[in-house]
Amino acid sequence: MAFVKSEKTPDRPAPLSERSVTGWMRKNLFNSWFNSILTVGTLLLIYFIVKGIWDWGFADATFMAENRRECFDNSLTGACWAGVIDWLDNIFYGRYPRDQIWRIHYGGLMLVLWMAPLWMERVKGKVLIAAGVVVFYPFLSGYLFAGGDKGVFMQLMVTGAVVALIANTANMITGLLKQESLKGFLLRVSGQTIAPDKTQRNILLAITGCAFAAAFIWQMNWRVDAVPWTKWGGLFLTMVISGIGIASSLPGGIILALGRRSKLTVIRVLCVSFIEVFRSVPLITVLFMATTMFPLFMDEGFVLNKLTQVIIAVVLFNACYMAETVRAGLQAIPKGQYEGAHTIGLGYWRMMGLVIMPQALKHMIPNIVGSFIGLLKDTTLVSIIGLFDILGMLRSISKDVPWLGLHKEPLIFGAMLFFILCFLMSKYSRYLEVKLSAGNRH
Amino acid sequence: MKQVSLIAAFAALTTSAFAGAGTAAAESTLDIVKERGHLRCQVGSPSAGYYNLDSDGNWYGLDVSVCQAVAAAIFGDKSKLEIQSVSSQARFTALANGESDLLSRTATWTLTRDSQLGIDFLAPNFYDGQGFTVRKDSGITSAMELQGAKVCVTTGTTTELNLTDYSRANKLNISNVTFEDFNVRDDTYLNGGCDAVTGDKSSMAGNIAAFPVPADHIILPETLSKEPLSSAVRHGDNQWSDIVRWSIFALINAEELGITQANVDDMLANSPVPSVRRMLGAEGNLHEGLGLKSDWAYNIIKAVGNYGEIYEAYMGHGKQGIGIDRAGTLNALWTDGGLMFSPPMR
Amino acid sequence: MSSTVSQTGAVRVRPKEKFDFFNDARVRSAFYQLLTAGVFAWLVWYLVSNTAHNLEVRGMNTGFGFINNSAGFDTDFKLIDYTPGVGTYGRIFLIGALNTLFISALAIVFSSIFGFFVGVLRLSSNWLVSKVALAFVEIFRNTPLLIQIVFWYIGVFSLLPMVKQTLDLSLGAEMLLLNNRGLYLATPVAGDLFWLTPLALAVAAAGVVLLRRKARKLQEHTGQQSKTLLPSIALLVLLPGAAFFFTDMPLTWDVPTLQGFNFVGGTSVPPAFLALLVSLSIYHSAQIAEAVRAGVLSVNKGQTEAALSIGLKPGRVMSMVIIPQAMPAIVPPLISQWMNTVKNSSLAIAIGYSDVVSLFMQTALNQAGYAVEMVGMTMAFYMVISLSISGLLNIYNKRVQLVER
Repeated sequence: MAFVKSEKTPDRPAPLSERSVTGWMRKNLFNSWFNSILTVGTLLLIYFIVKGIWDWGFADATFMAENRRECFDNSLTGACWAGVIDWLDNIFYGRYPRDQIWRIHYGGLMLVLWMAPLWMERVKGKVLIAAGVVVFYPFLSGYLFAGGDKGVFMQLMVTGAVVALIANTANMITGLLKQESLKGFLLRVSGQTIAPDKTQRNILLAITGCAFAAAFIWQMNWRVDAVPWTKWGGLFLTMVISGIGIASSLPGGIILALGRRSKLTVIRVLCVSFIEVFRSVPLITVLFMATTMFPLFMDEGFVLNKLTQVIIAVVLFNACYMAETVRAGLQAIPKGQYEGAHTIGLGYWRMMGLVIMPQALKHMIPNIVGSFIGLLKDTTLVSIIGLFDILGMLRSISKDVPWLGLHKEPLIFGAMLFFILCFLMSKYSRYLEVKLSAGNRH
Repeated sequence: MKQVSLIAAFAALTTSAFAGAGTAAAESTLDIVKERGHLRCQVGSPSAGYYNLDSDGNWYGLDVSVCQAVAAAIFGDKSKLEIQSVSSQARFTALANGESDLLSRTATWTLTRDSQLGIDFLAPNFYDGQGFTVRKDSGITSAMELQGAKVCVTTGTTTELNLTDYSRANKLNISNVTFEDFNVRDDTYLNGGCDAVTGDKSSMAGNIAAFPVPADHIILPETLSKEPLSSAVRHGDNQWSDIVRWSIFALINAEELGITQANVDDMLANSPVPSVRRMLGAEGNLHEGLGLKSDWAYNIIKAVGNYGEIYEAYMGHGKQGIGIDRAGTLNALWTDGGLMFSPPMR
Repeated sequence: MSSTVSQTGAVRVRPKEKFDFFNDARVRSAFYQLLTAGVFAWLVWYLVSNTAHNLEVRGMNTGFGFINNSAGFDTDFKLIDYTPGVGTYGRIFLIGALNTLFISALAIVFSSIFGFFVGVLRLSSNWLVSKVALAFVEIFRNTPLLIQIVFWYIGVFSLLPMVKQTLDLSLGAEMLLLNNRGLYLATPVAGDLFWLTPLALAVAAAGVVLLRRKARKLQEHTGQQSKTLLPSIALLVLLPGAAFFFTDMPLTWDVPTLQGFNFVGGTSVPPAFLALLVSLSIYHSAQIAEAVRAGVLSVNKGQTEAALSIGLKPGRVMSMVIIPQAMPAIVPPLISQWMNTVKNSSLAIAIGYSDVVSLFMQTALNQAGYAVEMVGMTMAFYMVISLSISGLLNIYNKRVQLVER
């Protein structure tokens, strides 16, 4: 068989149109006369926009100045970024005392430390980690941010949070090093791996108890200065409001969604009307209602501070949207799951808690990230009712005497900041969506 | 039985939750403030000259100084103060329901507000009047020439009402262009979006100073309204309104007597003038009726200076001032032909 | 069951069910419902009594009598007649509500059209165009609407020309003038017999619809494609044109002219209106573009290939094969965007367009008090609108479901 080639013929190169730049351009930019016009027009548009932004924002801009007059002296047509730079602390931290800003940083770092294991493949017990974040983190960071004297309840919660954080970090370390859970590690070290369940439980309880006692004694001497909420502001306040909003609206949304699907008429009707009422009105009216009408609803002399009013309004409002997200998640669960759970004799709450919700929540994670982005953007509305969130701060620069009238630059800075934050998050949620749906197909 | 205990627990929880919110209406405001340890003073969203944030997050301005003066009178320490920034929709309700102890923001003293909103206005700390700003090259020299003009105005305040009234009274057929934010109002005006801006003359003077070319704009001579900008407290607590009213008068009186932040210690120790000694608490018992300590007025001046100093710092030509001349305006001392007048402190 | 017992007297098949009060499903359900209803009623009573007490203590006015009181302030944009000092608060509410509806309706139309357009551009085979569309969508979806509104208001509309250099968008006809005072439109004034022209237009439109339907039927039956574009245009232009000419052109225009400071005549819209309209349209068109893209992508690629293989042109593939199948996936998010548009128009408060929130819930509330009534009325207004829109969605969903299977 001499006519059969013994070695492979080298691959022929792809046609020129596929590999050269001009070929690519012909195919993707100039494949018809209409597309060519479109391409050229678009290029012109991009050129004018980019040039305008460049001239105003960089070429003619002033970055270093003492006040706006100096900016004007430098250039009348360029941006005056000096004002924004001067106000950066306000924009990020609000009126938080400048020597205490480390507390905000620590709070943020703590959240990262706490949540990081959720992304690590080797670490075990992710559900417990997530629950720990939701239950304990708000108290620890809340105390860190607000400071002052701790009540008994706060002391207990702070202690719990410290223990949880330490356990969480230890769990992360054992997970990363040995790929085992903290529980397994402790039992192995104490040599009780094969001991009966009861002994194991007692050992773990004892360790937790000791840790709790130690942490309690430590925290009794731990005190940070009180910082009243009126000093909170800027991006920090925006994050606090939307963070609390998303964390509390999730349980609220689950309850409302379950209520909406309940067989009990009274509960269903109440939940449906609650959800529909809040979903049909704009957030700004709810915020107005919270600030002008909450004081009227309460007992005479009972005054909630404005931050609390706003947070209540945001949580109520967002819980109703979250309820619809959860409902959609629940509807996606096949009926067989419900029936299966019933068959093995689970009651309503166990069926929901053990079988349905975990599946539904997993599907909803991208949507929850989406809601968080929405909430983060909506939180700018609180500036209308007089809180100094990031937009409130950005709009205050123009009233500070040295920067009187400077209002475009801060706004554009804020828009860029939001864009970066929201864009990254939405990219991430889309990645999650792809990953989760890919995992589903296996 | 599980349900029954659940109900009981729920009932106990709710009653305890709401029982804690006892009524505080019977107590005097002074006692509440002292017990709390700081004064809650309400301002608005930042407004140049009156209440502003600086880049370090501190409040400053004429109205903020009034807040500090009251805090200093009560506690001897101007920092025992919480400045609340409240949107204009909620300003009077926030005062009426006890959220704020004192309202010190650019609120005009009017009969309706004084008598119908459950609040009392005390003493003006700034006299203003509404006017028009126009471009010099428009050739307009009087508001009567604004026939059919578009006028930019901020919304939701008496300014808008005054403009409508003025236009109706003089058949000017002015059309309002309303804005939420004075920056946008001014920007629209600067770009020719309206023929004139209307607002309080003092703050407009401050804004013009920050325009790219201040000399291109003039304020017309007509004054549409009188705007006594005044502090206010909740209706019904006379002791509290006395404290705030006389704290403001103390600022004016100190200027009249020549007491300044710098020389107040010296005055207290060495001044032979009886009215100075009475005011600073070196003799007499002026403080008793107010329920304050004898050095209350001393503390005020020591903390914030006299009215003239405050004006110069924030309204005048100080580093944080918006550059309005005081001489010859209503805000000069009565001895200089203005309206700033304190009843005798004796 | 009783018959079995009487006949045989044998042991019953089912043991007598002990009525366990605490474990009976019906009792429990009734109990929980009663409990919820009780707590709810108590909460309502608590809030109402507190509110009544607080209002009384503070001496604040209550009741809906204020609706007939005259309001002393003016607004710069109104669709119905109103004189400050004479018009009532009820009328102010009406003005605000109409303004909200007006701007939302316009924004909905523009954002839907523009959103479809951008959504199709996103799928364009032109790489540059699709990337630009992507950048557009991402930028406007990921920044807060409030910042966008304020930005358009101060940043872009201050770039418009001054009155003396007014931009004539109608190319010299002075029908549509744009400057930084707003947009001025010439208003048509109809003369005698003018009604014949719109009538002719309607007849022509009906004719076009018939023509197209006929062409489609022909295609469905025989696969033969007929040209409908030219005849349609001819019908639409010629018939009304003829009617217009034969009735002696009974239409004049009220053209805006510069008098003193401003343009007089025609209709004008203030910059706040334009800014809000532009920002709402753009923000929601970015959202709608995503919905359109997702909807089109949800249609199986084989559909396109099959349609192309039977010889349909790309434009027809889109309009006859892809879009009809994508519609059920596009319409629900589209309608929810419409709902959001109505709600988001309340952000007008930041730039002072006289919508119902800024006019009624802010200015009127500041002047007259009556917080509870005014907030209640505003919220009720939004609820009615939203419920009507979601009713629309339900009707659509039902129709789609019926058509499908």
